[in-house]
This record gives sequence, C-alpha cells and structure tokens, in this order.
Amino acid sequence: MQSSPTTKPLSPRKMGVINGRGLWTLYVKEVRRFMNVFSQTLMAPMVTTLLFLAVFALALGGGGRQVGGVDYILFLGPGLIMMSMVQNAFANTSSSILIAKVQGNIVDLLMPPLSPAELVIGVAGGGVTRGVMVGFVVALGMSVFVPLSVHNAGFIIWHAVNASLMLALLGMIGGIWAEKFDHIAAVTNFIITPFSFLSGTFYSIERLPENWRFIADFNPFFYMIDGFRYGFIGHADSSLTVGFFLVLIVNVILGFTAHRMIATGYRLKA
Amino acid sequence: MSLGAARETRKPRAARHYGAVNWRGLWVLYSRKAVLRFLRYGLESIAGPVASSCIFVLVFVLALDGGRAMSPDLTLAQFVVPGIVMFTLAQVAFDSAAVMIIHDKQDGVIQDVLMAPLTPLEIVVAYGLGAATNGLLTGGILLLIFAIFIDLPFVNPLMAIAFALGGTLLFAMVGMIVGIWSERWDHFSAAETFLVMPLGLLSGTFFSLERVPGGFEWLLLGNPMFHAINGFRAAVTGHSDAPLWLGAGMIVGLTLLLAVITWRLFAVGYRIKS
Repeated sequence: MQSSPTTKPLSPRKMGVINGRGLWTLYVKEVRRFMNVFSQTLMAPMVTTLLFLAVFALALGGGGRQVGGVDYILFLGPGLIMMSMVQNAFANTSSSILIAKVQGNIVDLLMPPLSPAELVIGVAGGGVTRGVMVGFVVALGMSVFVPLSVHNAGFIIWHAVNASLMLALLGMIGGIWAEKFDHIAAVTNFIITPFSFLSGTFYSIERLPENWRFIADFNPFFYMIDGFRYGFIGHADSSLTVGFFLVLIVNVILGFTAHRMIATGYRLKA
Repeated sequence: MSLGAARETRKPRAARHYGAVNWRGLWVLYSRKAVLRFLRYGLESIAGPVASSCIFVLVFVLALDGGRAMSPDLTLAQFVVPGIVMFTLAQVAFDSAAVMIIHDKQDGVIQDVLMAPLTPLEIVVAYGLGAATNGLLTGGILLLIFAIFIDLPFVNPLMAIAFALGGTLLFAMVGMIVGIWSERWDHFSAAETFLVMPLGLLSGTFFSLERVPGGFEWLLLGNPMFHAINGFRAAVTGHSDAPLWLGAGMIVGLTLLLAVITWRLFAVGYRIKS
C-alpha cells in the first residue's frame, strides 16, 4: 500500500529496428529444444554416420580404391558429415514448427512482438546451430578412424553454414506447409533423403551415366557436398565459383519464401 | 407396455464360450489393431522404407565400379538386394511392433487390450504376428520391385520364406519388448539408433564376411541379423557365407526366448499395469 503509489507505471518497452532480446530468446529456445535431448539430436547422428562409414568402407573401400585422387574413405568422410548436417538441420526446424502447430503453441511465436524476418532468423538460426554442431560432433567422431585433413577452412565453413541454412529454411517451409506428421515424413523420405544420398556423397559424379549428369548440374546438394569436400581434400568435381554463389542465391530465395509464408500467415494463422 | 413385454420374453444373454484359445479375439487384435492400422498409414509405413531401400541399392550400384562383385558368382546387385529386403523386413517388423505398443500405452487404450478376454500369450501372438505380417508385406513389395530390374534366381523358395518369417518374427519380438520398456518416444528412438541400426548395418547386408578384418568376424557371426540375411540370401541366390543350420538354430532359439520374455512381461504387466 505504501510503496505502490511511488512505483512508476510500466511503460511499453522500446525496441529499435530489431527486437534483439526477443530474437535472442527465440534462438536460445530453439537451441535448448534440441540440446535437451542431445543423445537423440547429436549422439544418434554420430553413431548412425559412423555406422555408414563402417559399412561403406568395408563394402567399397578395399584394395586401395581411389576416388577423386584420394583414398575412398577420405572421399567418403566429408560427404557423410555433410549428409548428417543437412538431415539434422532439416529435422530441427521442420519438427519445431510442426510440433508447435499441432500442439497449438505456435501462437506463442506469432503473438510476441517479433517481425516475420526475426522469426525466420531465430528459428533458422536454431536449425543452423544444430546442423553445424552435428557436423562438428560427427567430424570429431570420424577423425578417430579417418585421417581428415583441412585443405581450405574457408570452404568448409562456408558450405557447412550455407548447407545447414538451406535445409533449415527448407525445414521451416516444410513445417509450415505440413499439416500432419505424415506430410513431413513424406518430404523427408522422398525429397531430403534421396537428394542427400544421390548427390555425390558416396561416389564421384563421373560415375553417373552421361545423360544423367544434368541432374548434378542443377542440384544445390551436389554443389554443397562437393564444395565442402573440396575444403578437406582439395579436389572438386564441379566449379567452385558456381557452388559458392549458388548456395547463397538459393538461400536468399528460400529465406524470402519463408518470410513471405510467415508474413502472410500461410497455414499458420486461421 | 408392449416394449416391456418384449423385453421379458427375450432370453438372457449367456456368457460367450470359448475353447482353449479365444480365436475371435485373437483375430480381431491381429487384424484390426496390428495390420489394418499399419495399412491405414500406407504411404509412410510401406512407401517410405521401400523408397529408402531402393536408394540404397542405387547408391551401391553407382558407387561401385560395375564389375567388382562381392563374390565371384554374384553381381553386386544380386548380393545386396536380398540383404536389403531382409533388413527392411526386420526393421518394419520392429518399428510396427514397438510403435503399436507405445501408441497404445500413451493413448491409454492398452487397457482395452488388457481388459479383453485375451490371455497374455494370445496378446503376444496377435501383436507379434501382426508386426511380422507388416514386415513381410513391405519386404514382399520390395522384392517384387527389385525382381523387375535384377535377376534373382530363387534357388530355394521355401527356405526364403522360412528365413523371412524367422527374421521378421525375431524383430517383431524385439520391437514388442522395446515397446513395453519404452516410456517415451526417446526411449524407442534410442533403441532404434543404438540397437537395431547397428545390428542391421553391421550384418553383411552390404559386404560379405571375407571383407571383415580378421578378429572381428565374431561381430558378424554373433549377429542374428547376419544369419537372417545370410540364410535369405542363400535361399534367393545360392551364395552363403556361414553354415545355414547355425543361423536357423540361432534365429529359432532367440525368437522363442524373446517370445517367452515378452509373454512374461505382458503377464506380469511390466510398465503396462500400474
């Protein structure tokens, strides 16, 4: 009773162009979401990837086989790292959005004073963090068995971040579009997995029949796996410049699409 | 008045009699609960595994120079395809058994199963056969697709069916135990990542026993999945890496052992009845 008249009334909080605190909170929430179950989100991908490594090394590696001028296992390693990164970046954002939609707590994202751009950055940032962290953990586990060496760190980082961002944005778009878990499972099964398996992770693109090469020429997955691998082994099947800019352009387009979807409330606002 | 009169004349319902086995209950649980539920989600449950298996085969055929075969008498595709089919079959059986039980536990409808006049043994048989059916359906579709593109001789069809049945039943039992044990979906996916995937991938699906570095053969020879795949491959292509009687004995023995464990778990209500 005594103190209440003396306290100043709360005024609306002032925010600049960017709601920095809100954005940070959203990002931290997205990161905590997967860190809570890190055995599922970080350790499981590592185990699965190492299993794949063992399988492919045993099945295909024997007899000093060389691909792209290096031992097969050195060729395979970076591709597998990239594969686990993209799959996890996609899984993170798509499940985050879809679970929020199904449970109805998506309003907690839409109601706060966050602009659509801030929402895209916050959620996609969580996906990128998961992708990059998974890549790091997998690389660490792999380095026990495979003598990974760094040829060009810039390419590794550029493609790791851009690939994770691309799949995080695709995951957002997929999560917004999907209405049931079936839908997102279908996208994962029929789009993400085939693309990440068939884009030169396991074989040099020279192995493709001549008239199927065009698939690689227009496939951003192929460029990012190839560019990422170049960062390790110093050999690329494709033009590095094209890959460098292609992933950037694709990300800008996807980011813009995700932004429009959230701004218009497509399948988010009734 | 007339309604009451009609009621009085109706004979009172007698309790339904069954013999030693409640066949109708068993059939309902098997068909409705296990198989139809699986088929309702056809796209995910069948097309998903089928698509990823096809991708695996494609990757292998592309990644390996066409000529290099696993063994002199088989092409690479002939070697890999029976393994992939068996692997998919077992994984689907595992998934469907575990998911069924976890779903029912989480939704609370497992009570409807426990309350029905079904003995624990009947429940195990219905769930187990249901999951096995789902696995066999998926594997059958996969085999049909591959048979279009790849020459599969089917040396011994009866043995192929026997090993397929053994492999699915074994993993259906594993799936049921995991389903009963799991309290959350995390537990299920942990079991899948750390148990089923290693068993499935380090099983000789993709490489023959000779490829395994010396000293690690026991890893394969102790893996029931390896024996299931090896037996199935022997039946389909005639190529075998290990004694078949050993594999058959191991699969039958393990399946029976796990079935007894599952039966006991249901009977005592471990993590099912509170």
